Amino acid sequence: MKLSRRCFLSLSIGGTVGTALTPLPWKLTDDMSIWSQNWPWTPVPPDGAYTYINSTCTLCPGHCGIRVRKVDDRAVKIEGQEGTPLNQGGGLCPLGLSGLQLLYGPRRIQGPLKRDGERGKGQWKPISWQQAIDEVSRKLADIRSQGKPQSLACLTDSDTGTVPQLFKRFLNAYGSPNFFRMPSVEDAYESVLSLTQGVDGFAGLDLYNADFILSFGSALLDGYGAPPRVMQAISRLKEQNGTLVQVEHRLSNTAAKANVWLAAKPGTEADLALSMAYVIIAQQKYDTDFIGTHTEGFEAFVRMVQERFDPQKVAAYCGVEADVIVRTALAFATAQKPLAVYGKGKGQTAGSLREALAVHALNALVGNINRVGGVQAIPAYDYLQWPAVMTDETAAAGLQTQRLDRARSPEFPHAQAIVHRLFETVNASPGEVQALFVAEANPCYSLPGSANVQEAFDKIPYVVSFSSYMDETAMQADLILPNHVYLERYEDVPVRSGTTRPMIGLCQPVVAPQLNTRHVGDSVILIAKALKGAVAESFPWADYESCLQEALGDQWDAISDQGFWAAAESAPASLDNGFGTPSGKFTLMDETIGAVYQVGEPSAAGDASEYPLLLMPYDSIRLTSRYVGGTPFMLKTVADTVLKGQDGFVDLNPETAAHIGLGEGQAVRLSTPVGEARVRVHLDDGVMPGIVSIPRGLGHTAQGPFLAGKGVNVNRLIAPVEDPASGLDAALGIRAKLTKA
Amino acid sequence: MSSNDTLQAHSDSHPPSPDSKGGGPYILLFFFIGVALSLVVGWGVFPKLLYSQKNQPFDFNHKNHLEMVDNGCQSCHFFRADGSFSGSPRLAQCVECHEEMQGQSEDEAIFVEEYVSKGQEVPWLVYARQPDCVFFSHSAHVNGAKMDCITCHGHIGTSESLKTYEFNRITGYSRDIWGRSISGLKSNSWDRMKMDDCAECHAKYDAVHDSSVQTKRDACFVCHK
Amino acid sequence: MKQTQTHNQKPPQRYGMAIDLDKCTGCGACMVACSAENNVPFKEDETNKLLSITWMKVFRITNGREFPHAEVCYLPRPCQHCAGQHEGHSPCVSVCPATATDYSAQTGIVSQIYTRCFGCRYCMGACPYHARYFNWWDPVWPVGMEKSLSPNVSPRMRGVVEKCSFCFHRYQLARDKAYAEDKREVGEAEYQTACAQACPAGAIVFGDLNNPEHAVSRIAQPDRHDHYKSQNPRAFRLLERLGTNTKVYYLSDREWVRKAGDNYLADENPSASTPPKEHA
Repeated sequence: MKLSRRCFLSLSIGGTVGTALTPLPWKLTDDMSIWSQNWPWTPVPPDGAYTYINSTCTLCPGHCGIRVRKVDDRAVKIEGQEGTPLNQGGGLCPLGLSGLQLLYGPRRIQGPLKRDGERGKGQWKPISWQQAIDEVSRKLADIRSQGKPQSLACLTDSDTGTVPQLFKRFLNAYGSPNFFRMPSVEDAYESVLSLTQGVDGFAGLDLYNADFILSFGSALLDGYGAPPRVMQAISRLKEQNGTLVQVEHRLSNTAAKANVWLAAKPGTEADLALSMAYVIIAQQKYDTDFIGTHTEGFEAFVRMVQERFDPQKVAAYCGVEADVIVRTALAFATAQKPLAVYGKGKGQTAGSLREALAVHALNALVGNINRVGGVQAIPAYDYLQWPAVMTDETAAAGLQTQRLDRARSPEFPHAQAIVHRLFETVNASPGEVQALFVAEANPCYSLPGSANVQEAFDKIPYVVSFSSYMDETAMQADLILPNHVYLERYEDVPVRSGTTRPMIGLCQPVVAPQLNTRHVGDSVILIAKALKGAVAESFPWADYESCLQEALGDQWDAISDQGFWAAAESAPASLDNGFGTPSGKFTLMDETIGAVYQVGEPSAAGDASEYPLLLMPYDSIRLTSRYVGGTPFMLKTVADTVLKGQDGFVDLNPETAAHIGLGEGQAVRLSTPVGEARVRVHLDDGVMPGIVSIPRGLGHTAQGPFLAGKGVNVNRLIAPVEDPASGLDAALGIRAKLTKA
Repeated sequence: MSSNDTLQAHSDSHPPSPDSKGGGPYILLFFFIGVALSLVVGWGVFPKLLYSQKNQPFDFNHKNHLEMVDNGCQSCHFFRADGSFSGSPRLAQCVECHEEMQGQSEDEAIFVEEYVSKGQEVPWLVYARQPDCVFFSHSAHVNGAKMDCITCHGHIGTSESLKTYEFNRITGYSRDIWGRSISGLKSNSWDRMKMDDCAECHAKYDAVHDSSVQTKRDACFVCHK
Repeated sequence: MKQTQTHNQKPPQRYGMAIDLDKCTGCGACMVACSAENNVPFKEDETNKLLSITWMKVFRITNGREFPHAEVCYLPRPCQHCAGQHEGHSPCVSVCPATATDYSAQTGIVSQIYTRCFGCRYCMGACPYHARYFNWWDPVWPVGMEKSLSPNVSPRMRGVVEKCSFCFHRYQLARDKAYAEDKREVGEAEYQTACAQACPAGAIVFGDLNNPEHAVSRIAQPDRHDHYKSQNPRAFRLLERLGTNTKVYYLSDREWVRKAGDNYLADENPSASTPPKEHA
């Protein structure tokens, strides 16, 4: 037999015919197409049982109720908790919604770290928790043995709730008065309530029941207070045909939604408020009953206002016409439930005490103090009834020393903490702070003049960070004892923002700790115990959870089930005994308040001839500039006229831009007396001529590839300006210039 | 004639012999050899190559368990309150009875030692697992249409041991999706679980809607996600 | 008759949305909620908006006037789920060669099946709203972040188009629950999109446009005899005159905002215009 080419041909034809008669080609085609649809590297999220856990968001002071959807042991979605007393609608802000990207994200610190190399270089050595606690306590024992316990300072985000109070208690037992909380509009409101009403507490703004809201630059729709609550209040205001007036130099989102936008020049807001007071008094539209029965110092107030705040005079420099001032003042005074709101942007700075007083005076004039739809003074939370701190001799001596910022001294009697003074002190005399604890705060990023803050950090010999994330401040630490993130831990968070109803949110572990972290409360208790003696005795609790359970007492079961505890809805404090002033009346004017009105507004730093423009930061709810940095999902929402690639933008009025010869998108050098940066220009008709508008929340230098190196941190370009009245930082902005890059 | 001769002939570089019809009858033979070989490959070798086998962590006797429970299949494969279907039982359910050994079987010993005492979930290989793009509503079929489990899953409930799990090397799907028959033919409703099989049954039981504009059948989103 | 009986008794569902632009604050919560709900991928750089995937996108529009008369309005844009001039004649569905995108006459929802899509992007070219996005790369979740992925929505692979589904998986889950409770209907509260649920200002209302009991139909007031054009003088739809017959209604008191919803001549009054009459 001879094998020819044809035989092979025949064989293959036969093979083809035969193959077609088998399932092989059809099955393979099907399988190949399926294969091409299911790449093995495309994740397939495992299914399982769905559960919901109620907890409280701690990412901003709003402390909204959240509801976390879980699939087996994975948390897959955060939603607003519907129907809670403070969040009927169940909405949530972009940061709260993307919290899982913080929980599971690459920004987190895996376990305790000890610096291994130069500060700030990011070289770390993982150590065990035992080593970490030993190390801190050894260092602290050392400082104490030198008789300088007051040189330990502590900075946290807030001072309410068990965790900040554990820190404060630790400092007391250790012997240091230097407990600091980050600045906020609360500082100003506390001073105002204390000066006018003699109340130690916080201001409950009843936005939800007001029918006329006059906001002095508050970012009501961009993150002021508790964003969902405030936004619901504004939506309700619209439904009820109420009025929103926004006083702001820029067409912010709040101004855009306002019925009336008053573009007052920055720094003239207090004068504008007082000129409205002038109108209300002159036209006799004030609440005669409240003013007559429940206030003191009205005559002096009237004299001051009449002397200096004629709308004609004020209109000349504030940028709002006199007849608009008159119209707005009358509309405000004749509304049923008018409410004037103080606090710039999201309320992350204290701002001017003078302006805060002037705005509060407007509320008093229309008699809207301690009323539904008005400002209610809510007494400070007092549920923490701990035994007295044990103080040994060293501690007693340390506690006798003056606070580093001189807050609560005769110089600044109403300020609780003046954070910028802490760092100024360190820069001036480095030995004063030997060790610093930082928890739930990122001062190296989020304080104005952050370059100075960083310089101060270099001068503090021992910095301990309790941060969960590798943020700018943690980068400057010698030791990091990472806290669980809020979805892994218990914590009580008393609500102070955007409510008139006292409420304690409970942050509950939604998932088991994902990394080798530890609850910051436990860390403090362990450090205290390691120090032995009176410090250890001041911390009788086995761990944080038992401390918390004891603090919440009978409420524990209810609160852990519901996720929060809310005070019963009650009428505002009565006017007859609602004021803690010596006279029992609301103080419109006395010597102290008069002095505050006398001093001028703190002006922006810099020489106007060299720096012809004014750089003003603005707050956006799509960005965050507090302890927690923005999430990848939030960055999706940021417009490409705010951030493009690595370039941050400033907004300029087209007229201003034309004057300097700048066009849309052009790169420029932005200089201020304290720093400079390369930015790009975005033209926006909503920006007042002469102003350079820049967002807060960009320009991180740490926190991983999603956040670091994008845009400009405005805090590097501005510096604190001390309010002469309160000592607090009242910087609105800073003088600036733009030159073509 | 040997193959050597052929090579010899070619190497001599003679022109091809005019006797080119010489292969005549053989050509047909080779054709049939080709057909036969490919049939053997296509029906015999190919399925063996296409599917790989895996053993379940240990054997399981459905029949035994079914006899002991009150609520049939749903005693273990139950619906949650939200209407979702639990699928393979979790360790926690099994532990309710199997904290300790109940019998003498070797498989139970493996279960108790390797999984119960270590608190580890059993990595069952699921015969009926659909790909991620499929949203199959057990609730619609069992609660809504009152179908029984056998229609799709066959008589697994009365089986005394688990069959070997086979999966497609190309797609990773369980063999039960395409069906045991490589030809794709089926004699029972539970033999296959491809989309066409869903559609076939929907058509038969008047369950089909004409909601899809593209296909005039059920819209894609009814069963996909 | 192969149709189910319910067909003839009442109109099918027609899921749609009403977004009050006077309430919308532009906070972006809807965008984030949507991304978190639907396993939307994210990259280190999201500033190239041609490549950034946002099923729900909030646009910023201005009245073009000078300071201090400038005004701003935000406009959230999900997929508009066009019905077209006859039911299902959506721009994208009409051009899809792969049957990857489909229109359900039962719900009015335009679906996208990723495994079916082969990435020709005709639909993207056809969509007048830029509501469709292409995966140029395989999405990558940083190690650990894949734990937050929801099993209800299939993660996409490179080479496919994705878009808003009106959170259809929530309808599927709600239906599962309804069956378990021996019901056949999904209530208004039981099926809500993630964006509507997350909106802190309550600007987004979602529901069945054909069901007079649903808030959305009371707000949008669609005229069933005139391509569902809204009878509410505050309402408009995007590019209404294209005849896409969308299911997302926008509301505003402001004339310039309503006018921004379509291309009008300077002297044209938006409220007077009507969509083109059906050919045929």
